[in-house]
Amino acid sequence: MSFQILINGISTGTVYALIAIGFALVFNILKFSNFSYGATMTASAFIAYFLVASKGWGLVPTLICSALAGALISLIGEFVGFRRILKNHSPSTYFFVSSITLGSLYEGLVTLKAGTNFYVYPNFFETPTIQLFQTVISKENIIMLVISVAALLALAFVIQKTSIGRAIRAVSFDRDTAQLMGINATLIIQAVFIISGIFGGLAGCFLGIKYTLTATMGSLVVKGFIASVIGGLGSLTGAVIGAMLLGIMEAIFLSTMGSGWATIASFAVMLVFLLIRPQGIAGSNVQEKA
Amino acid sequence: MNLFLYVLTQVCITLVSVCGIYILTGLTGMFSLGSAAFMAIGAYVSGLLVLNTGMNMYLAFLLAIAFAVCVGYVIGFPVVRLRRDYISLVTLGFGESIAQLILLLSQYTGGAFGLIGIPRRVNVWIALIIAILVIILTALFKCSKYGRQCIAIKSDELAAKAMGINTSRVKMIAFLLSCAMTALAGCLSAFNIGYVGPTDFGWKKSADWVIMVFFGGVNSLTGSIFGGAFLTFLPQYMQALNKYRAVVYAVLVLFILNFKPKGVFGEWELTPKNMRRALMRFNRKQRKVKER
Repeated sequence: MSFQILINGISTGTVYALIAIGFALVFNILKFSNFSYGATMTASAFIAYFLVASKGWGLVPTLICSALAGALISLIGEFVGFRRILKNHSPSTYFFVSSITLGSLYEGLVTLKAGTNFYVYPNFFETPTIQLFQTVISKENIIMLVISVAALLALAFVIQKTSIGRAIRAVSFDRDTAQLMGINATLIIQAVFIISGIFGGLAGCFLGIKYTLTATMGSLVVKGFIASVIGGLGSLTGAVIGAMLLGIMEAIFLSTMGSGWATIASFAVMLVFLLIRPQGIAGSNVQEKA
Repeated sequence: MNLFLYVLTQVCITLVSVCGIYILTGLTGMFSLGSAAFMAIGAYVSGLLVLNTGMNMYLAFLLAIAFAVCVGYVIGFPVVRLRRDYISLVTLGFGESIAQLILLLSQYTGGAFGLIGIPRRVNVWIALIIAILVIILTALFKCSKYGRQCIAIKSDELAAKAMGINTSRVKMIAFLLSCAMTALAGCLSAFNIGYVGPTDFGWKKSADWVIMVFFGGVNSLTGSIFGGAFLTFLPQYMQALNKYRAVVYAVLVLFILNFKPKGVFGEWELTPKNMRRALMRFNRKQRKVKER
């Protein structure tokens, strides 16, 4: 395994980690799988494309715009799709349907605006690659790696060290008790959706840079789901580990089998994982509470 | 009239798969975002069998359904023991993989061009008869022991387990039945249109079916069938609406979820007893109007 593949794998893995984390945050707090997440990524990447990148404003404004758009979409989604269901104490199936519907709504809106065309982010660098230890590494990969790692570290700091992080952990553990302790659960859920949206926006922008922008780009969210299953559903550390593993595995598959088979192989890996170790690497076993 | 027959065929094919989704989602409370992939399996396997070996169409249907059920078993085996979230995640991944597989095996499946030249032998009457049979089968399943066990699992899996229901077995049965029905819908669609393309089977299609089931009322088979028929008819007759189809669907369902979470029909079923009751209520109202 060459150094090149490893670097590519790690940089893909960090993007998957962003997806998996955004997904796992919402899963932790509301105990359901947020399927609108993929479409949130697509929509924010497109907003960033039309508002910023097409005007030639460079990488950093594009990323910021995408992250903000993701946060906004996610917040609106929480208000439109989940607030009332949460208040009515509806069964968890309604969260599923609501998230699927939101996803299909976002994707429909993007398709209305963009059609089925391909869009490509402009080249953000004059020389797209650099030479390092006899391997060619694209600058985009390095930027992705740096920004993703920074975002993950920032999140870890927020979750572990700040009071809002403590509140998020409390609400994920037991919403009712946390509310009795004086935590405003609605506010915390909103905060979680905003964080998840920021991660989704960043991931969407990166995916758009790495591949092309299409209205169906959101299906790449599958990688994030696979990563969180491998790592352990609902565990943040597990999601990062799973995403890294998946990224490196995929880079290896990609160089040995080609892109089509790589998708199928990573799906097979997920099935095998569910057979052998369904609780994932981190071993967090999310059971239905009685 | 021609348009009507065409739309009716589409509705029948959709209803076959909506019945499958009703069993999976409405009765058992599991969500599959890869049901459309089973439709693809049905369409491709039956189409390839007839094109390459020239066998009887119905035999090809049966073989395709059997194949889809086998694949469903492999996919379902690891996940039925786990939380219900896993089945949605796994089927979503499965749908993406099937789409890739169809493109990769292009020397058999025609790749991005799709499978062309399938004999168009399914007309509206065959589709109608099969749809009615499938609906009757679903209704019987709902009334059977398994149907009631599915409903128990949906309301509370732990309690169902405590009552001695073999939850993973019942979930598997529901999942396989749903796979079989979506595969049948795929067969019908392939032999109706005469063409199968690789892009028709994304997660959006599965999501559309779930939306149809929830629109009509997730606990009621009548409601699901109404939802499927209504949401298929509507865009066909409003061509202007077709572009906005996905958005309109989504907004409709968001309204229903927020303000009438049980769907249009709630738990009401179209049984003779309920019809009689509704008729009596109607008569009483009429009499009151007359007395005034």
